[in-house]
Amino acid sequence: MNVVTSQSRLRAVATTLAVALTLTLAAAAGCDSRREPDLPSVQEKLRETHIYGQSKLRIGVATNEPLMGELRNGQHVGFDVEIGRYVAASLGYEGDQRLEFVSVSTEDRIPALQGGTVDLVVSSFSMTEDRKKLVSFAGPYLVTTQEVMVSTRLKDKIRTIEDLRDPAYRICTSGGSTTEAELEKHQVKTFVVKDVGDCVDGIRKGRYDAVSSDESILAGFLASFPKEFEIVDMPFGTSELLGVGVPIGDPALRDLVAFFLQKSYEQGRDGQASPWQTAYNRTLGPWLRAEKRQPQPLEVPKLVDFDDKAPRR
Amino acid sequence: MSTAPTATSGAGAEGPVPPPRASMPTGTADVPGADVGTDSAGWPAGVPVAEPTEPVVAEVEPGRVRWDPAERRARASQSFWTALVGVPAIFSVLRLGVEAGGELQTTLLLVANVGPVNLLAGFVTTAARLLSTGMVAVFALGAVLAVSADRLPPGTRRRPLFARWADITPAWVVLASFLLALITWPLLYLPLLLPAFVAAFQLRPERLHERATPRVLLILALLAGYGWLMLPTLRDAVEQGGERLVLALIVVPPLLALFIAGPLPGMVIRPLASLTEVAVLAMLVWAALPVISTPVLPLTVTTVGVENGPTEDVRGHVVTTDDVNMVILQERGGVRYVPVDLVRAQVLCPSEEELPRHRLRIHDFHVEDSLLEGMGRRVRPVHRIDAACRAPG
Repeated sequence: MNVVTSQSRLRAVATTLAVALTLTLAAAAGCDSRREPDLPSVQEKLRETHIYGQSKLRIGVATNEPLMGELRNGQHVGFDVEIGRYVAASLGYEGDQRLEFVSVSTEDRIPALQGGTVDLVVSSFSMTEDRKKLVSFAGPYLVTTQEVMVSTRLKDKIRTIEDLRDPAYRICTSGGSTTEAELEKHQVKTFVVKDVGDCVDGIRKGRYDAVSSDESILAGFLASFPKEFEIVDMPFGTSELLGVGVPIGDPALRDLVAFFLQKSYEQGRDGQASPWQTAYNRTLGPWLRAEKRQPQPLEVPKLVDFDDKAPRR
Repeated sequence: MSTAPTATSGAGAEGPVPPPRASMPTGTADVPGADVGTDSAGWPAGVPVAEPTEPVVAEVEPGRVRWDPAERRARASQSFWTALVGVPAIFSVLRLGVEAGGELQTTLLLVANVGPVNLLAGFVTTAARLLSTGMVAVFALGAVLAVSADRLPPGTRRRPLFARWADITPAWVVLASFLLALITWPLLYLPLLLPAFVAAFQLRPERLHERATPRVLLILALLAGYGWLMLPTLRDAVEQGGERLVLALIVVPPLLALFIAGPLPGMVIRPLASLTEVAVLAMLVWAALPVISTPVLPLTVTTVGVENGPTEDVRGHVVTTDDVNMVILQERGGVRYVPVDLVRAQVLCPSEEELPRHRLRIHDFHVEDSLLEGMGRRVRPVHRIDAACRAPG
């Protein structure tokens, strides 16, 4: 009898504890459901940026790099332009009325960001340690290598870096580019002009013999003049990480651009049609020798957005 | 409780003809009306007695009807259903006032343009979660208190309120409220339904199997199934760190369900009853506030402007559209009458209250989605946020 009583007493205590714990958990759940989210949201980040409330977003692009950034019949076209459009639309700027493309030359990219004439730069902008002291980068959105393009008549003569050092050949590159620094490292004497397009013009007019730049930029010129040029594969050994340039004083905007690049990356990885893939297929894709995929962006912040609850599969 | 069937059953008991409604509750024979019918008649057996209702009521009235439990139950049930229909109706109208920003003219504009059916449907969509939470809480607590009520200290006259409510509610209503909770609660809170369900129906583990060993094995199998379902989510929660509440909400409730059925010690019943009555009331009021302030109309961004000219984004709820104007209740307040010719585009936008708080999924269902929402997302998996929605309001 005693055993039965103590058992039932134990049982009653267990029940009391269970009821009390359930009520506590329910209360905690109720409080949790009314709590502000811990993670910053896209909308909150957007309020921190300098572009919040701006009627137009200004994006710096190149106008004379076929396939990447080009002005054709008054319309900006190219891979960089498409990436710029995607980032702008994600930030809330869609359509020509809300988006302004500003032409920036290779050497003007950093001053344009510093001076506030553009909000973003999407123009074959390589992410380097030196530049990171002056501007912020979101990306990379494309990994490319340095190549040399020569006129068809010289394709058998210029094959190695050693050949580039030959004073007989006049090598051209754009000022303020990573290529200029790389060639200098290999003791190649160069003619430095404003844009890669000027080099290509110069070669066609006989002023230069070869031009060195990113594979993606050169592929654009090759697409424009397929019979006049040839790309020579040289072992420069460095890969160029192209990123979106953002003013250094606006880390929120950098985070947002990185977040949206990551979103496109995840879509592509899951086998869906990502904005990056669409841009690539429409511009660079058919002209590159080896197919490229979107690289994983670096330093992507964790943000919550309205579509976080959508199924992933 | 009409007199006609009572009279029939009374007549049938006397004569050879079997009573036409054998399933009638036997208790009705005790009702005084039945005695009056059979005594005064002397009618041939099997012929129904047409008895006026008035004298019966007059005879019963002094002192007896007030304490008739059946009558009380009927009244309680009536008030329950009145509340169930009336509260949403009043809430819906109150919501219009809040939606209009407290402005009388704006409220009248909304009243004129939002149909009662839309209003009620909108209310049910947003309040189903609150309603089911309230009902589940009352029924679970009521059942726990009801089963413990005989342990109340002697001299206690009334059973706790929730116990009485649980007594008069048919089992199907309890079951329906649990089903409603199952499909409308966020997945993260669903484990709490387990102890609540076990408490509401007082399912002790002994019900699974009468012998101890198979019972333990069954419980282990059930827990293992639950573990398989939740393990990936638990792993993510641990990896993300700082999600202690999530861990507790997933792990603890199934264990509590094993012990929650059964009577409570006499001394805790009274305090628990009073405390939970206040707590449930406070919870309902606290949770009702966001329901009242949830918009009735969907949030849109309308791009307004002349052809080839500058445009403006108007963020708000479209009240109505006619041939001349589109009437927009702006998010920040105020009503805009936008000429229909100037409307360039319009997009539907999510509101910031819909932002998730956790980054966890249970087998690809987001933990803050209900089962219904999760299934809906599988039907339309692509969620596109229009660029205009990001624009400042």
